[in-house]
Amino acid sequence: MTAQVILNGLVTGMVVALPAVALTLIYGILKFPNFAIGAMLTVGAYLALALNVYLSLPVLYAAAIGAAAFAVVAVGIDQAVFRPLRERSAITLLVASMGVSFVLENIVRFIFGNGARSFELPLARPKLVFGLRINNEQIFTAVAVIAAMTAVYVVLRHTPLGRAMRAVSDNPALAAARGIDRERIVRWTWVIAGLLTAAAGVLVGMDRAIDPLLGWNYIVTVFAASILGGLGNPVGAVLGALTVGVVEETSTLLIAPNYRQVVSFCAIALLLLLRPQGLLGVQRIKK
Amino acid sequence: MNIHGSVVSAREIVLSTEGVAAGYGGDDIISNISVAVGKGSIFTVIGPNGSGKSTFIKVLAGLLPARTGEIRLGAMSIARLSAPQRVAAGLAYVPQEFNIFTNLTVGENLRVSTEFLERERRASAEQRERVLAIFPEVAGRLGLRAGYLSGGQRQMLAFACAMMAAPTVLLLDEPSAGLSPKFVAEIFDKVKSVNAMGVTVVMIEQNVKEALRIADIVLVLVNGATRLLATPDDILTKHDLHKLYLG
Repeated sequence: MTAQVILNGLVTGMVVALPAVALTLIYGILKFPNFAIGAMLTVGAYLALALNVYLSLPVLYAAAIGAAAFAVVAVGIDQAVFRPLRERSAITLLVASMGVSFVLENIVRFIFGNGARSFELPLARPKLVFGLRINNEQIFTAVAVIAAMTAVYVVLRHTPLGRAMRAVSDNPALAAARGIDRERIVRWTWVIAGLLTAAAGVLVGMDRAIDPLLGWNYIVTVFAASILGGLGNPVGAVLGALTVGVVEETSTLLIAPNYRQVVSFCAIALLLLLRPQGLLGVQRIKK
Repeated sequence: MNIHGSVVSAREIVLSTEGVAAGYGGDDIISNISVAVGKGSIFTVIGPNGSGKSTFIKVLAGLLPARTGEIRLGAMSIARLSAPQRVAAGLAYVPQEFNIFTNLTVGENLRVSTEFLERERRASAEQRERVLAIFPEVAGRLGLRAGYLSGGQRQMLAFACAMMAAPTVLLLDEPSAGLSPKFVAEIFDKVKSVNAMGVTVVMIEQNVKEALRIADIVLVLVNGATRLLATPDDILTKHDLHKLYLG
């Protein structure tokens, strides 16, 4: 039973890792907590849903095309809303992102209605492996998330774009003096964030019903994961997400599942009291 | 008293300003600065604290816009170019502080310095070798996270990063600030080595003795205005620096 709960928690954590990394990347480059991260998940799920249900594309293709389309939408949102506010304070940008969140959610409600939908997926029995029940969606999630995280890691560590993203995150003025065009890096950051959040939206949608509050339900968990890992630190965000996933899921052994987000709130509160820089925060050198 | 000197350089002019004014907020911090820097020379800017030296060099680098005036790199007007565009045009800048990416390794700092430039300015293998030969202390630490370097090593790395783009003009904002005498001497040696490669150097320096020793032309800035533009010999023989600084 405990092993099953931990496995479920790890898979939940994997799903959370995608938006947590997106949140932390945007924070690293643009220095504001993007409250619209939940709504981005929702829109990503609905884009794939539209392609899956109305165009009858298999979920995998629908997810890929939807994520690519949403990456473009994410860049568009940045250009329309965040770019004019680029030099404003983090609070201004946070409030703007709340506005974006409400607008996205209501666009979804306007187009798709308030009811719950679901992807057209073939039904399959869960497999039993060493006594653990593993369903197809969990396997798909694990493969997709590991592939996405590996890709993000390789981009950040081993490509010119990744080095430039880390340089801009580290010292934007110096990056400009070294010939790095910050706006170009910002656009790529939104592309990556768009791909990750849309993919996460699809994974959440495969696990449960798709409704306009799909992403909203994950906001606290995603923020907890990012803060736990030290905002701005992608590896930390993944570890934070896995931790939050396992702890939230394990907590359901003791408390009612509806209250599981309380655990995330407590994690944020405890961390801000005891270790405000996050689990991996010490690794960043400020000066 | 205003002693607007004028130095007519026999060299080809590589960087020039005409009536440049700039500042933060309401007032101008520097005004009406006109200089011409000869190709291959070392041009130092000296002056008391708060005289606008760093502001001037930031305006040259494109990190602060000139409110009025013209800036030219060779024949090209660069006053309206962004900082990255000026790097691409051949101007490299080393800030006084926060001049390396502390969370990147030394090797990554070097690479990221030119990766986003136009193809012709990207560091070639030869340029990388040349830079690493001038900065062996950097070459030996490529895998180390730059934040773990000492103050002097950081300054060397910042200097090396700027050189990766093979600039025509190198802008240095007080490269010796806060360094031990050993590193100060090394930094000035590097400036001379780089200059010997044909790179024009524009350098702010608080250490007046060193600045006069190394420079071909010296700009004395006081209260944001040109107090004197002269050769070091002229300054030492015909002027009293204390009076220049105090007005």
